[in-house]
Amino acid sequence: MTIDTPRLRRTRMGARFVTLALGAVVMIVPFLYMLATSFKPNALAFEWPPRFIPADPTIANYVQAWSANNFARYFLNSAMVACVTTVATALLAAMAAYAFARFRFPGRTMLFWTMMLGLMVPGVVILIPQFLVARTLALTNSLSGLVFFYVGAGMAFNTFLLRGFFERMPRELDEAMDMDGAGPIRRFLALYLPLSRPALATSAIFAFLGAWDEYTWALTTINDPDKYTLPLAIAQYQGQHSTAWGLVFAASIIGMLPVIAVFLLGQRHVVAGLQTGAVKA
Amino acid sequence: MTAVPTVASRPDRAGEPPRPTGPRARRPIRWSYGSGRRRDARTLIAYAFLAPAFAMFLIVMLLPIGKAVQVSFYDWLPFPGADNTFVGLDNYTRALGDPQFRLSVVNAVVYMLVTVPGQIVLGLGVALLLQNRLPGRMVFRVLFYLPVVTSWVVVSLLFRYLFATDGGLVNWVLVEGLGVVDEPIGWLDSRWTAIAALCALGIWKGIGWTAIILLAGLTGVPRELHEAAAVDGASYLRRVWHVTLPALRRTLVFVSVMLVIGSFNVFISVLLMTQGGPAGQTEVPLTYTYRETFNFLEFGYGSAVAVLMTVVVLILSIGQMMLANRAERGE
Amino acid sequence: MNRVPRRRDRLVGASLAVVTALALVGCSGGDPSSTDGELTGTITFWHAYGADSKELETLREVIIPGFEAKYPGADVEDVAVPYDQLHQKMITAAAGGDLPDVMRADIIWVPEAAKLGLLERLDTAMPDFEELAAKVFPGTLETNRYQDGYYGLPLDTNTRVLMYNADALAAAGVSEPPATFDELRELADKLAGTDIYAFADNGLSGWNVLPWIWSAGGDITDENYTKATGYLNSPESVAGVTLLFDLFQKEQMPNIVLGGTGGVPTSDGLATGKYATILDGPWMYPIFEAAHPDFELQVGPVPAGPGGSVSVVGGEDIVVFRGSRNKALALEFTRYLLSDEAQLEFAKIGQMSVLRDLDVVEVNPTYGPFVEQLKTAKPRPPVPAWPKIDDLLQRRLQAAFGGEMSVQEALDAAAEEIDALLAQG
Repeated sequence: MTIDTPRLRRTRMGARFVTLALGAVVMIVPFLYMLATSFKPNALAFEWPPRFIPADPTIANYVQAWSANNFARYFLNSAMVACVTTVATALLAAMAAYAFARFRFPGRTMLFWTMMLGLMVPGVVILIPQFLVARTLALTNSLSGLVFFYVGAGMAFNTFLLRGFFERMPRELDEAMDMDGAGPIRRFLALYLPLSRPALATSAIFAFLGAWDEYTWALTTINDPDKYTLPLAIAQYQGQHSTAWGLVFAASIIGMLPVIAVFLLGQRHVVAGLQTGAVKA
Repeated sequence: MTAVPTVASRPDRAGEPPRPTGPRARRPIRWSYGSGRRRDARTLIAYAFLAPAFAMFLIVMLLPIGKAVQVSFYDWLPFPGADNTFVGLDNYTRALGDPQFRLSVVNAVVYMLVTVPGQIVLGLGVALLLQNRLPGRMVFRVLFYLPVVTSWVVVSLLFRYLFATDGGLVNWVLVEGLGVVDEPIGWLDSRWTAIAALCALGIWKGIGWTAIILLAGLTGVPRELHEAAAVDGASYLRRVWHVTLPALRRTLVFVSVMLVIGSFNVFISVLLMTQGGPAGQTEVPLTYTYRETFNFLEFGYGSAVAVLMTVVVLILSIGQMMLANRAERGE
Repeated sequence: MNRVPRRRDRLVGASLAVVTALALVGCSGGDPSSTDGELTGTITFWHAYGADSKELETLREVIIPGFEAKYPGADVEDVAVPYDQLHQKMITAAAGGDLPDVMRADIIWVPEAAKLGLLERLDTAMPDFEELAAKVFPGTLETNRYQDGYYGLPLDTNTRVLMYNADALAAAGVSEPPATFDELRELADKLAGTDIYAFADNGLSGWNVLPWIWSAGGDITDENYTKATGYLNSPESVAGVTLLFDLFQKEQMPNIVLGGTGGVPTSDGLATGKYATILDGPWMYPIFEAAHPDFELQVGPVPAGPGGSVSVVGGEDIVVFRGSRNKALALEFTRYLLSDEAQLEFAKIGQMSVLRDLDVVEVNPTYGPFVEQLKTAKPRPPVPAWPKIDDLLQRRLQAAFGGEMSVQEALDAAAEEIDALLAQG
């Protein structure tokens, strides 16, 4: 009935564009407000009524956020922790997902559900036992300790995510390689990893975000100021009786940039996956 | 897990994996077929692949969880030399009998029932819209992803001001902008409007997350099927319902399970946006646990509450996955 | 993502991590000082001074260097923790045996920490304790008490006084702030029908209601903090709370008192004239200057009732942890923080001194009314169970204000529950 003409396609594209644009506006309005406030001087309280264009805009907050208190150092700390966490998480989770998706071994169901359990327990409650473990392993007050815990905490989610993708991969390719005599390890490296780029990229995006934004654990274990990560630094701007909102927002926005960058990077892989159509038989 | 035929019913074809039957065979390949030694080698490889991840998980999550469960049966203080008494199920019965705890569970359930479908439907919509070529597609993706990237702390405080009674942006839009309401609504001053505000925050923050995952999942949808259905004359929505969604099933289940878990574990937004108020009306299980644990030093009790919540979430998750499997088998 | 995983690098990285971690553990903590009165070594000091604050600047550029100059070889490492998380971090660290040497604690945490056995008992550990105790305001010292001992020393103090908006008062035809309960009621009557609230506060916990209870002549417990029944629900206490309740009923108090976060905060409301009066502390001066530079902050004493004008003591204490590896230095640092020089420096940047003899009004005249109020101000009961007591008091009262029960019933119920908590010691 519907014949796909270029005109129809353009109309549909136009409709999609408008819908998305409206949606995007709703999504970013709070963010715009945050951006506006970050350019307001001395914004200790929010303006009433809300104003999107600041009366006298200034970049003082950004300058202060960046130059005060070792901000660059904290930024770097977060960057190191997040990068290592991302690589380690993606790798270990991919390996585990491969095992769950393509192998049958005793205890598979039980082990999988045990890992799922890890997803369901709220972090708040295991904070103290985790701290005791960290202490025993001498992993408190160290950035590598942070990496260790972030990777461990991310195993459940990323394994779950990647397992779903691996399970959906076409068996034909697998069988073809098996016929060629490739063992499971080779298949993993040569087939699964490359073909699951979208999934791995997605996993990397979330692992990076998780490590970059994590606050509570870092606060609990890190005592040396030069080991602070970015969320700790930003939280410090929140005072006991008042908070310098302009500063907090400026610092937060600076902190958001790397995650957006990683997102863009990762999304390119997702899009690439969409285009190669991983399922072309 | 889908049913698989047992070993005995199949001829032993050494080295040759079984041919999957049907266009939708979802059974995992059983590499353990074949002679004993090969099977053992495969099993070992499986364990080897799994071991590093599981070891990390064991140390960082499982051991502390075990400790938390153990602690839930005690009147416990985490300090060396503290006098910890075993109280059995007392903490649990206390929780179930506490009206404030029950209220917090109700709030969490309502929050879940609103935000999970909300995020899935809207996230799916966004993913479908972003799937195909479009000018500025990358820009849109970034824009939808921005809320995900912003920290919960900053966003919760921001939304608190957006929903302020006098002069908050939401009321300004409703009263001055759209003119739908005459008087500003005291969003955060009463239970259900405050919960509505919390839901709005939850959905807003989660749409991008859901969309990203579903987008990655859409890479697995066979385009040919879609095109074939289009040629057959199916409308867009029909095609989505019959082709895209079933192909997305695994991803949707994943998203749904994660969102349900997340909704029951909502914490920072409540802590900072409503502080559990007014008068504890918007309390959720985690704010309740946090206060009991860290303000009142009731570690055993706090752990028991967390265990209860985990059990609830576990049941819901298993339920969701079973439903999905059943739907799959039914096709 | 196509690269072969660098497993070898990870192994090296992991070993480095372990080695580094072990090295760090070896270097942390204090070195025991030599026994001969020579104070050296490193101590860690936790506090909640904000990143951008004058307090932090003063600490790092004046106080600590002053101490280190006095004791060469001594090193104080300060760790800033956001206030909202400091208590949790302390608890977690206690569980892991990872506490600092010294901490600036909110006064309400001290009895609980003492009960848990975390704190060094200072009246026995410091030979000059009596002298130090005599230097400070008694109310501030009492916040460190647990059973028979003193487990900390006060560092800075504050209290709540009445802050008012002269324009709002003028709208009611009043030129002076209400000085008594009756005057407050009259102000409310005069403001009836306007948009202005006579008084605003953001909760009903001890910090909020105790000034009214005490000024009415009531109390929350007896002198020894053993019983609440007969005190919290005495006619005087009920009268104090009822003053607020009546204001709320007449819509002269905004509903932020119920804890909802949607309303206008007390400070903003005062500055913009929505609220005629509030109660707040000395930290508001710099905040008003920055956020509402056009508003002229004026203060007066808490309106007096039959019990006089009695406000509530806030502030911070210095505590030394029992597990400290360098107690001698930690105690010396505590002493230093109470010295005239240090207290004066703190006074300059908004931290009111606890020293009786230090004339902070000379340093900053705005302190005047607070110093007056402090003469009669009382601390909240320094009992370990205070957080729980505070929470249930607030809940009961919020239920009463919300209309679920009368004030008397709420206080009766609260008193009974508080008795049980006080009995636990």
